Amino acid sequence: MRRILVFLAALWALALAFPLTVTDDLGRTVTVKAPPKRIVTMLPSVTETVCALGACDRIVATDDYSDWPERVKALPKAGGLYNPNPEFIVSLKPDLVLVSKYGRLYETLERAGLTVYAVRTETYEDIFRTTRTLGRLLGLEAQAERLVAQIQREVYQEESRAAKAKTRPRVYYEIDPTPYTVGPESFIGVLIQKARGVNIISKELGLFPKIAPEFVVEKNPEVIVATYPGALETIRARPGWSRVKAVQTGRICVFTGGQDSLLSRPGPRVAQGLRLLVDCFHGR
Amino acid sequence: MTRALPLALRRSLVFFWLLLLLLLALVLGVAMGAVSLPPGEVLQSLLGLKENPIVTEMRLPRVLGGMLVGAALGVAGASFQGLFRNPLADPYLMGSAAGAAFAVTLLASLLGGLAPAFAQHAIFQSLPLSATLFGFLGALSATFLTLVLAGGAARTGELVLAGVVVGSVLTGATTYLMLQDADRVRAVFAYTLGNLAFMGWPSVKAMVLFFLLALPPLLLLGRVLNALQLGEEVARSMGLPLEGLKLLLLLAASLLVAAAVAQAGIIGFVGLITPHLLRRLLDEDYRLLLPASALGGAALLTLADLLARTLTRPAELPVGVVTTLLGGPFFLYLMWRRRGRA
Repeated sequence: MRRILVFLAALWALALAFPLTVTDDLGRTVTVKAPPKRIVTMLPSVTETVCALGACDRIVATDDYSDWPERVKALPKAGGLYNPNPEFIVSLKPDLVLVSKYGRLYETLERAGLTVYAVRTETYEDIFRTTRTLGRLLGLEAQAERLVAQIQREVYQEESRAAKAKTRPRVYYEIDPTPYTVGPESFIGVLIQKARGVNIISKELGLFPKIAPEFVVEKNPEVIVATYPGALETIRARPGWSRVKAVQTGRICVFTGGQDSLLSRPGPRVAQGLRLLVDCFHGR
Repeated sequence: MTRALPLALRRSLVFFWLLLLLLLALVLGVAMGAVSLPPGEVLQSLLGLKENPIVTEMRLPRVLGGMLVGAALGVAGASFQGLFRNPLADPYLMGSAAGAAFAVTLLASLLGGLAPAFAQHAIFQSLPLSATLFGFLGALSATFLTLVLAGGAARTGELVLAGVVVGSVLTGATTYLMLQDADRVRAVFAYTLGNLAFMGWPSVKAMVLFFLLALPPLLLLGRVLNALQLGEEVARSMGLPLEGLKLLLLLAASLLVAAAVAQAGIIGFVGLITPHLLRRLLDEDYRLLLPASALGGAALLTLADLLARTLTRPAELPVGVVTTLLGGPFFLYLMWRRRGRA
């Protein structure tokens, strides 16, 4: 009897929640009439969040780069940020399309009469904000709260593991060999701090600065993290870099082939990315 | 003012100022950088009294390498402008830049999928190195393709047309590849804006080698370029084996461009404006314009790179952005002043 009551209460709450009108990350007003059943996600981190909310089976297509969880690899692909396939998306008759706030895909889809919600997932805080927003949109608010709590618990575990370390290594993080690096206020920058590393880049330089190689040599980082193929050989071969402590001691962590997604996507697997950094900075 | 001076003296003065500017660029380039070092320490490490890899392994080769790249672009720009008798010709006209960008993008997207296999291969030990090699092959292939499509170097108009088309097709292919692999767009994009960040002694040595190969024929061909300015018929009537000489000129200039693109990516404007800045001062005498463009291009690029790595230090600006943002307005100012005088 009590179960039935709870079930009815939940249904009633859902019925009250929809139609739901919300403001998306572009400041647009979006109205969702009923909990969406056919969703297209155009951002890998959003795909991950929707699936982590237990709504993976509602996704009918994703962008080209969504590759987690395993089952989304089999879904139809609707292009990327720069080359989306709006006709294909429309042909799928989705009742919700989740797009990046960058690009103008939402305009085309809106004109075609689709419900489009633009998402920003860039910072650490965006993970939780987006999870809760998606929870509301999908009628899965309780699941969203549970997921937020779970991610925070996992992150906390890694943070406390890092807190046991005696030292905080100086860290240089390279996202490509130009070289571009990350500032402390970027998503990766926050993860470096949580993993108890000290980023050699100051926040005045912005989120993703192109850095002078001699500055890195001068700062003499103890650990280097890189997220592109061939990074180890590339970094070792650079003029003057053989003097860098991380190069001398071999503490260069290269994360590619899916591991880099853990560090570049602000999504439900953030703690796994953090674990990579904690292991890299302080050993297992 | 200089116009009133005797011809020989005026020309010597141009070279004197160019050498002075180059020396200034060298001194400033080595003395300044993202890291502040006292001049005494810089001097000591240059003399080998004190070890500082920032000076000897990073700044000095970067400055010297930048000079050679700038010189290559300057002399190639002057050669192409003379050869095509077109002041708009730039070193990348033969499709070399597009070819290099395409090859580097292709490599980057291959590395995305085949990274482990590539990384083990000795040639691909590092991305800058393999990008260099690929860029060089791309630039040379595109130049040859242009030559083949134009049916040799004989017809100048067809050569320009073929170069533009080859460039466009390759640029389209590059864009397509970049869209397939959005993760690597930043690195490839940076390459297309030029990058001297990792100029080491191996890069300098490579550039010196290409200069030894390509510069002597170019300097000797100044006389041919002078004759060409009077029209191909006139040049032919002077008994010059024009086809062969044009081909030699194209190959030598393309080799220099390919080497520059391979070492430093695609740096705009240096090769276009350097010959223009010097053209009037040297009365369009290509025997002098070619070496002067080499010196001018070297000084210009070294100073641009100095700004690129100090204006926002310790962050860097793409050097191609500096050459264009500073070179463009400066060039317009010169045009405006000349028109005012005319």
